[in-house]
Amino acid sequence: MRTRDTNKEEIVKQKAIQLLVEKGIEGFSMNRLAKESKISVATLYIYYSDKDDLIRKIGIEIGKNFFSEMTNDFTTSMSFSEGLYKQWENRARFTQKFPLEVSCWELLTHSSYSESIIDESLLEFKSIMENFFKNAIEKKELIPISKEVFWSIAYGPLYSLLRFERDGKNFGGGPFKLNQNITREAFELVIKALTP
Amino acid sequence: METDFNNILIFGTNIKTERDKETISKILNTNSEIDQWNIDLEDIDSVLRIETKTLTIPEIIKMITEQDFKCFELS
Repeated sequence: MRTRDTNKEEIVKQKAIQLLVEKGIEGFSMNRLAKESKISVATLYIYYSDKDDLIRKIGIEIGKNFFSEMTNDFTTSMSFSEGLYKQWENRARFTQKFPLEVSCWELLTHSSYSESIIDESLLEFKSIMENFFKNAIEKKELIPISKEVFWSIAYGPLYSLLRFERDGKNFGGGPFKLNQNITREAFELVIKALTP
Repeated sequence: METDFNNILIFGTNIKTERDKETISKILNTNSEIDQWNIDLEDIDSVLRIETKTLTIPEIIKMITEQDFKCFELS
């Protein structure tokens, strides 16, 4: 009798994420994944019906993890500055804790899988953030701007700093460490730009 | 509901094209003992996956080979 081996499934998931990031969606194959996970192709097809099914499920799981991390200690009733800082903390933690998952997520959400993955995993998060955004404008804590401009100004600086952190280098080639002072400094500038 | 892994049968085939797939679709879609099936045409082994509570491996192999395709159990 075949039983579900959750340990093996976890290995398959990790390997799949790694392979997707390394090879891209086109270069990813079920055969290769089976080989790298040291399981038979048949076993892999028992877990997932095909490549599309696997990619969707992996994406949805990353999305759900992201969602639960982002809503950690966050409520839409927080003041704009407090709530946004919480988002920064949550996003920074997630990016540093799961770098491969984040790269994989980037890849999948800019592919044809994007819609089905986001619909399944992030609709609730999107509506929470829309509420937060709306409340902030109503309370006059945020200037009324488009979502795209908001996102770019609100999170762009954080993700840029996280890239420096990942590389560990500053522009001069010296060491770079993202500490609380630097984060705060950038955050204050963002708040300055976004508040009326 | 979680699929019962014991009801999933996995085969390698030489079904390669959408046209080949159509050919086998006719017999697989009309078989009431097959709950669900799909084939991964992108895979080297063109893996055929069948969910059935009653059919056996040799029965599936017979159905597919009768359509002039190769079909073997993947284990």
